[in-house]
Amino acid sequence: MAVQIVVDQTGDTRHWFNPHDTKALSKAEKRFKSLTTIGYTAAVRDVAGKATVTRSFDPTAEETLFFPRLVGG
Amino acid sequence: MLTERLITAGRRLCHSVREGARKILTVRERYRAMMDAREARGIMLLREWLSPTQRAQFDTSKYFDVVGCDSGTRYRIHYGRVTNVHQIDEAGRPVMGWCFVPSGGLVAGDVMLVQKIALETNEQTTLAVANSFRVQALGGGPTRTPPRRACSA
Repeated sequence: MAVQIVVDQTGDTRHWFNPHDTKALSKAEKRFKSLTTIGYTAAVRDVAGKATVTRSFDPTAEETLFFPRLVGG
Repeated sequence: MLTERLITAGRRLCHSVREGARKILTVRERYRAMMDAREARGIMLLREWLSPTQRAQFDTSKYFDVVGCDSGTRYRIHYGRVTNVHQIDEAGRPVMGWCFVPSGGLVAGDVMLVQKIALETNEQTTLAVANSFRVQALGGGPTRTPPRRACSA
């Protein structure tokens, strides 16, 4: 199972999906596009734990984190 | 007769006030429990994404160090949501503070995770939106200076 984690003011929400299920994968891609369109940044984590920011949907990513845009404090 | 009515009304009023106060306390406790749960989830998520070294550092010191991807500069991210990122020198002494947060009022763990990812993957762009502030090497907390836009480390 793969997961998309969205952090916002309500905490983190996890959306699990089966990457081998075409319908679930399509839904995950739509979520990716809708979140990045409204300004969220997507980061994926590899097996070694290294995070990378990604601009396009990666169907092989096991864990993707979405967070709101940064502002100066 | 009138006295009895007044006493009864007074008792009812007291009961209503007590009941109202009890409900307010219950709501407050629920809100606090909800916030505590959010905070705990944030820390759990942060720990999942930290490297083993960062996780060990965070567990013992409530802060962890990251290396900026562009300059190789070291930053220390302290537990908190604002003015919690310090640029540090080779000896681990703070030389400057950087203030940047994800919009939307996130809990501390989530803010710290976003700060880590931002510095490790997109340092220059992150510092371009951040405000800098002076920090004291030892002793008290950060000394705020009037925020200014800062684009270089």
